[in-house]
Amino acid sequence: MIPWSAFIYVEWWTRSHRNRRFSLWIPLFLAWLLLLPLLVVLFPVVALACLFVRMNALRLYAAAWEILTGLRKTRVEVRSPAARVLVNIA
Amino acid sequence: MNDDRKAILEMLAAGKINAEEAERLLAALEASPSSSHKGGSPPQEGIAAAKKPKYLRVLVEADEHATGLRGGPTTVNVRVPMQLLRAGVRLAGLIPAQAHEQLDKAFTQHGVPITLSQIKPENLEELIDHLGDLTVDVDGKDENKTRVRVFCE
Repeated sequence: MIPWSAFIYVEWWTRSHRNRRFSLWIPLFLAWLLLLPLLVVLFPVVALACLFVRMNALRLYAAAWEILTGLRKTRVEVRSPAARVLVNIA
Repeated sequence: MNDDRKAILEMLAAGKINAEEAERLLAALEASPSSSHKGGSPPQEGIAAAKKPKYLRVLVEADEHATGLRGGPTTVNVRVPMQLLRAGVRLAGLIPAQAHEQLDKAFTQHGVPITLSQIKPENLEELIDHLGDLTVDVDGKDENKTRVRVFCE
């Protein structure tokens, strides 16, 4: 299944020891809907490019789809004394 | 019920073996890995599937000496789905052979000495199976207390 949403959280401390935070929830399902027409246009262009470089377009589409679906449940968190960054794809 | 199990029970019923011997044979049958493929015993297949790792985890913990940041350790916690690794290897397999040499050179220049042509989709499952048993622990010495842990879960 493709990722439906992404969550980005950034927290940092200023020099005056004030805590600042910023969080963003990205509804990826809306992004996919918006990108769908673009993908429809891009599909034949990519297929032609693949023909030109003698690459199997179907295998390329399959790999791209797998990367997209594989992104789900990826989580990256970095925590330091000065800041904290979290990226979670769901 | 698979054929082997049936044969053991038939031998027990015919009096060719006693209950203890039948029990031992059944235990041996369950322990043998080939038995899970033959009769399709669902519980064993379920266990095998459950053991397959789903994520690659990388945990890094560096103290103040290593990072130069005062106030506590810096930690990095990354969870990468195995499916993404599979897709990555498959994508690497699509790279045209002409580009391999240039990419290998660029990787080596950036301190990653890998040969892309050796990463093949047919070796993919084997690679991921081996990643399941992988645990790398790196501990820094003396003042540099950096801990790196790579494992699958």
